[in-house]
Amino acid sequence: MATALTDIQLIDALRNGDKSALYQLYDRYSGALYGVIIRMCRDEALAKDLLQESFIKIWQKIASYDADKGKFYTWSYRITKNTTLNALRKSRNLIQNEDLSVYDNKSIEEPKPDYTQLNGAIKNLEPHHQKAIDLVYFQGLTHKEAHLEMAVPLGTFKSYIKQALKKIREGYGPDVVLLLIFMLQYG
Amino acid sequence: MDRKKIIEDGLLERYLLGELPENLCSELEQLLQNDSSLKEMYSQMESDFEQLAMDNAIPPPSDVKTSLKEQINRMSKGEQQGDPKIRSMVTSKNYSKNFLVAASLAALLAVSSFWLYSRWQQAEASLKLVQQQTTSLQERVVILESSVEESENSFRKINNPNVIPLLLKGNEISPQSKAIAFVNHAEKEVILNPQGLSPLDQDHDYQMWADVDGEMINMGIIPKNNMLVALKYIDDAASINITIEPLGGSEHPTVERLISSVVL
Repeated sequence: MATALTDIQLIDALRNGDKSALYQLYDRYSGALYGVIIRMCRDEALAKDLLQESFIKIWQKIASYDADKGKFYTWSYRITKNTTLNALRKSRNLIQNEDLSVYDNKSIEEPKPDYTQLNGAIKNLEPHHQKAIDLVYFQGLTHKEAHLEMAVPLGTFKSYIKQALKKIREGYGPDVVLLLIFMLQYG
Repeated sequence: MDRKKIIEDGLLERYLLGELPENLCSELEQLLQNDSSLKEMYSQMESDFEQLAMDNAIPPPSDVKTSLKEQINRMSKGEQQGDPKIRSMVTSKNYSKNFLVAASLAALLAVSSFWLYSRWQQAEASLKLVQQQTTSLQERVVILESSVEESENSFRKINNPNVIPLLLKGNEISPQSKAIAFVNHAEKEVILNPQGLSPLDQDHDYQMWADVDGEMINMGIIPKNNMLVALKYIDDAASINITIEPLGGSEHPTVERLISSVVL
C-alpha cells in the first residue's frame, strides 16, 4: 500500500509542477519501460530517445492520469508503447520498406545484447504461452497482429493469453496489496 | 457488454494494453467502477503485468536521465514563453532532426523526380508529334516534287518548238467535244489534252487511231480524267482520229462512232 501511496503522492507532486517527482517516477519505472521499448525497437540509440520522449509525454499529460482507472505503470506503458509504435511506423514509412514489417526486421537484425531473453514468471510458461505474452506485452503487437504472427486463430490466441496469465498469477502468488484490499472490503 | 463476455473475450487484457476502441473503453470503465470483483480481477492483472515488466526491466543508460532533465528544464523555460510542444519536437535530439532532414530530402526528391518525369513525358510527346509532322511533311514534299516534275515534264513536252498542236473538234456525234493533240515528229511523241472531250458512260472509252495508208492503227485508249496523256506515235500517219469504243478499247475502230479527226 505504501508503494501505491507513494506513487500517488509523487503524481500529485508532479501535477503541481515538481520535476523531482518525475525523476523519482523515472527511477522507479524507466527500467520496466525501457525493457519494453528496446524489445520493440531493438535499437539502443532509438530506444534511449523514445524513453526520453515517453517521459516528456508523461510530464505533459500527467493531468489526464486517473488513478481510479488503473495503475500508473499501465498508463505509462500505454504512452510508451504508442510512442514507440509511432516512431517505428514513421521509420518504416520513411525507408519505404513495404515487404519487411518492423517485426520482420527485428528477426533479421539480431541485436547485441540479446534483449529477447525474458525473466521472471514468464520463464516457467510453456513456449507458446511465453511467445504469446512476449508478443503482446513486450513487442507491442495487438492481439489481432499477434495471432497472425503465431499463425493461430484469434480465439486460440486469446486462450493462450488467458492461460498464460493464469500461470503467471500462480507464479507470483497472492498479491499482498490486493489481499489487504480484499480483507478490508470483505473481511 | 456483460461480465461473462468481458472475461471470455479477453477484453480486460486488451483494455490493459490500450488496444480497445474508445467506445468500448468507456463502457468497460463504467462496468469496472460498478463491479468490484471485476475491478479486483483487473487490478490483479495489472499487478501481474507490472511485476512481469519489473522482472524484465533493463536499466537504461544513465545519460537518458541527464538528457531528460535538460529537456524538461528547457521545456519549463519554454512553457513560460509558451509553445512547449514545438520545443520538445525541436529538442528531441538527433533522431528527430535526422528524421526531419531525411523526410524533407525524400519529399524533395520525390517532388523533383515527379516534376522531371512529367517534363520528360511532355518532351517525349512533343518529340513524337514533331517526328510525325516531319514524316508527313517529307511525304508531302515527295508528292509535290513528283507532281512538279510531272508538270514540268509535260510542260516541256508541249512547249517544245518541234511540237505541232492540233485541234480535234467533235463531229455531229459529239459536237461539244474538243481535244488538243501535241505532235512532235522530231522526237516521235504524241501528247493529248483530252479535257474537252464530252464525258462518256461507264461502258465506253475514247480510243485514238492513226491512219496509215488507209489502215487505222491503234494509238491507245484515252484515260478518263487525265490532264495530258502520252499516246503511241505512229510513223507515216496521215491523220489521227478519235472513236468511241466499248470499255477497254477495240482492236479495230468502230468507224461509225468516230467523233473527231485531224489531218497531219
